[in-house]
Amino acid sequence: MSLLAIHELSVDYALGGGSLRAVDSVSLEVERGESVGVVGESGCGKTTLGLAIPLLLPDNATIPQGSIQLNGEELVGLSEEAMRRHRWTDVAFIFQGAMNALNPVQRVDRQIREAIRAHEPTTTKDEADDRVLSLLDLVGIAPSRARSYPHEFSGGMRQRAMIAMSLACQPSLLIADEPTTALDVISQAQILALLASLQRRESLSLLMISHDLAAIKRVCGRLLVMYAGIVVESGPTRLLLGHGIRDAQAAHPYTQALIRSHPDLQGERQLAEGLTGHPPDLSRPMVGCRFADRCPKAEDRCRMIAPVPVTLAPGHLASCHLLEAT
Amino acid sequence: MSLTEIVQETEGESRRSRPGLARELWHDRMGRAGIIMAIVMLLIIGAGPVILPFNAQAFGTSAASILQGPSRADWLGTTELGQDVFREFLIGGRISLYVGISATIIAIVLGAGLGLISGYYGGWRDTVLMRFTDFFLVLPTLPLIIVLAALFGQSILVTSLVIGLTSWPQTARIIRSQVLSLRERPLVMRICSMGARDVRIMGKHILPNVAPLILANLVLVLSGSILAQAALAFLGLGDPVQVSWGTMLHNAFDSGAMSAGAWWYVLTPGAGIVALVLAFSLMGHALDRVLNPLRRGRP
Amino acid sequence: MSARYLLRKTATLALTLYLTVSANFLLFHVLPGSPVQLLARSGHYTAGARAQLVKLFGLNHPLVTQYVIYLNNMIHGNLGFSYVYRVPVTTVMGSAIGNTVLLVGTATLLTIVIGVWFGVVSATRANSMPDASITVISLGLWSMPDFFTGMILIFIAGVWTHVLPVSGIETPGLVADTWGRVLDVARHLVLPALTLVLVNAAEFSLITRNSMVDALTEDYVLTARAKGLSRRAIVWHHALRNALLPITTATALYVGMILGGAIQVETVFSWPGMGLLIYSSVEQRDYPALEGCFLLFAMAVILTNFVSDIVYQMLDARVRRN
Repeated sequence: MSLLAIHELSVDYALGGGSLRAVDSVSLEVERGESVGVVGESGCGKTTLGLAIPLLLPDNATIPQGSIQLNGEELVGLSEEAMRRHRWTDVAFIFQGAMNALNPVQRVDRQIREAIRAHEPTTTKDEADDRVLSLLDLVGIAPSRARSYPHEFSGGMRQRAMIAMSLACQPSLLIADEPTTALDVISQAQILALLASLQRRESLSLLMISHDLAAIKRVCGRLLVMYAGIVVESGPTRLLLGHGIRDAQAAHPYTQALIRSHPDLQGERQLAEGLTGHPPDLSRPMVGCRFADRCPKAEDRCRMIAPVPVTLAPGHLASCHLLEAT
Repeated sequence: MSLTEIVQETEGESRRSRPGLARELWHDRMGRAGIIMAIVMLLIIGAGPVILPFNAQAFGTSAASILQGPSRADWLGTTELGQDVFREFLIGGRISLYVGISATIIAIVLGAGLGLISGYYGGWRDTVLMRFTDFFLVLPTLPLIIVLAALFGQSILVTSLVIGLTSWPQTARIIRSQVLSLRERPLVMRICSMGARDVRIMGKHILPNVAPLILANLVLVLSGSILAQAALAFLGLGDPVQVSWGTMLHNAFDSGAMSAGAWWYVLTPGAGIVALVLAFSLMGHALDRVLNPLRRGRP
Repeated sequence: MSARYLLRKTATLALTLYLTVSANFLLFHVLPGSPVQLLARSGHYTAGARAQLVKLFGLNHPLVTQYVIYLNNMIHGNLGFSYVYRVPVTTVMGSAIGNTVLLVGTATLLTIVIGVWFGVVSATRANSMPDASITVISLGLWSMPDFFTGMILIFIAGVWTHVLPVSGIETPGLVADTWGRVLDVARHLVLPALTLVLVNAAEFSLITRNSMVDALTEDYVLTARAKGLSRRAIVWHHALRNALLPITTATALYVGMILGGAIQVETVFSWPGMGLLIYSSVEQRDYPALEGCFLLFAMAVILTNFVSDIVYQMLDARVRRN
């Protein structure tokens, strides 16, 4: 049984008078100890997908269909009270390391301790303190900095503190939403290395959401590509992205475009090609392939019929008419 | 393109006023209630004395007509001098409103002006003006108004001046913050670097963008000024000749209308004050919600 | 917080107090038609009293000397001589200060507690019926002048019914033990305090609501929710803790308004405090007493601002760094 099994999940937002389907019948599975990446441009629904799992969606969001199973237990439809027991203990969330993700008027060690005491109330203060210090040590923050305030940390340190906090209750699944986006390049590399090593050492399952293909390549064994609310391709990272543009075997035109727009710093010189146009308006009904308007290889049938996933290799699926066996 | 044309084109971008502000205010339930109430009160205050032709100084004819409850002759009862409360109410509104408006104009002109200069120029002008403003912010308002009125007289002019002079600091601070953030906008900096004159920038770019904020503040200052005038009049510092609603309450209190149970004498002018102030408070609160959509809370 | 910050704040405090005292001097002793000089020249004082006044304020000396004498008087706690009561102003103010502190202190405490509570309730149910009702009621209460609210309460509780006393601080001629007297004062305190609380708690709840709504949209609130914290912990320990900052600033500005309200309320209820004293001084044109009372009010507000700045520092770690 997979640790996390999402089946045909949809998420709607109520806006103004109408509604918008940000996530449309998405399915994915994460096994124990696996690290999976979800990549796509802003607005493709990946963050909504991430927030849906611990049921942290805002009040104007609803889940009209689908299931989310964690360790076999169905999460959709759980009351807030019931869900609270799973949060942090089974599934933890790492937010973007923006200034305000941590409470600015509380010390860092106190915020971590709070998580521990909330779920394990019988822990004494000393025990909790010890755990806080060892967690901070795990991410490379010295004990002398434990009693600092968030604004006294650099961006990279804040993110590391967030990671330490997320591990406080030994969750089996860690969801990281754009963990490196707000950071400078050097901190980005540190955080990614940290995530990768933690994932191995603590046998965590990691679901990493990012628009940065290079970050996902560094950390995730498998990846899903989202566009306009649906999954357009999924498969092993090594297969899809290869070592560079030359041996990438991504099949979907969108994935290929993403790869082309991320030049390798150490690879050979190539021209980065951007993708023109905008994603479709999700509040309008959609006909045919959602990527058709921007696809360089679009044909007539692409605009009329929506493609279904095709298996190209074990574990490698893509939704594109051009890949269907004729 | 000539420099003038470039400047004009860039200026066009910045001319984003909010013509829909009045409409937005109307759509907001509270704003609508406030606008309606304000119109009703203004009609009563403005048209009331004219529609009812009468001699406002009509005193009661006998001792029996003092502090009488509502009757067919006097809809809202009589005062301690036998006057018709309703008539006094209709006249009294004018002074309350007049002082409120005058004081507000003074406060806004002073406050917005100082805030604009302070925020725009910065530097030593800002420091000096802000220290000055801070000092005034700290002084307690009503005690200061009372002292000034006691020292300088009770005419309507003095009252308006005094209230206006104590209300401007808050406006100055608010406008200054807004101007500070506006000044940093790339658009304004671009125009500055093109060499446009200060006055032009302030007038054409900063002012239109600050205007909604000034308006929201103006309405709140108006509410406060009306309340301040009422308090002054109640404490005996209003104009003794031109009776306002506050003065009516002063007379009611002084003449023992309370112990005589003459509720009509107290409720009528009091309700007038509350209605007038509430109308503007509702508008001010609604304006705040319109300008700060996040304040409405998560949808 | 750093000693240097405290020092700087204290220096500003001293400067502000000095400026206030000087402004007082300007208002009451310098400007044309200044009342003290007028009184001295008018026939209201006897020749002996006039001579005393002239000596006390150095009225036949140049202005600068008068200023120095004035400052000297201030430092020694000499606030002048009441025209009406013929005793030092400080004597007249004596017990009045305590009575006002009792009234304003009780009212402020209740205002903060009730106001914050309703504000939080309002914010956590933003846009629902309770929120709208609380907001409208608060606006309505705020639009009522303090003295009017008092008068209505007098009608309700003192004239149409007789459940509570509506005047003074004690029942005249009451014979009772200490506890009995305390209860008597408490009964007299109810209506005036209630008046102040009604008007001000309304405004406070509005301020709290806005501050809380802003705080609830911040990122760290989502983090707290993700951590699986209870709703109570999220609202009170995270959101409110941050919302307290603007509320603290508001409280300081607030005290000025409550003092203004106290003047009205004490007048309406004949509560023998500083407010009533100001009213009677104005009525009787007792300028020295008026001057002394105003100075005290101003100093109270300045001190409150000072304290609130310190408290803000203690609450917000970010500001401390500077």
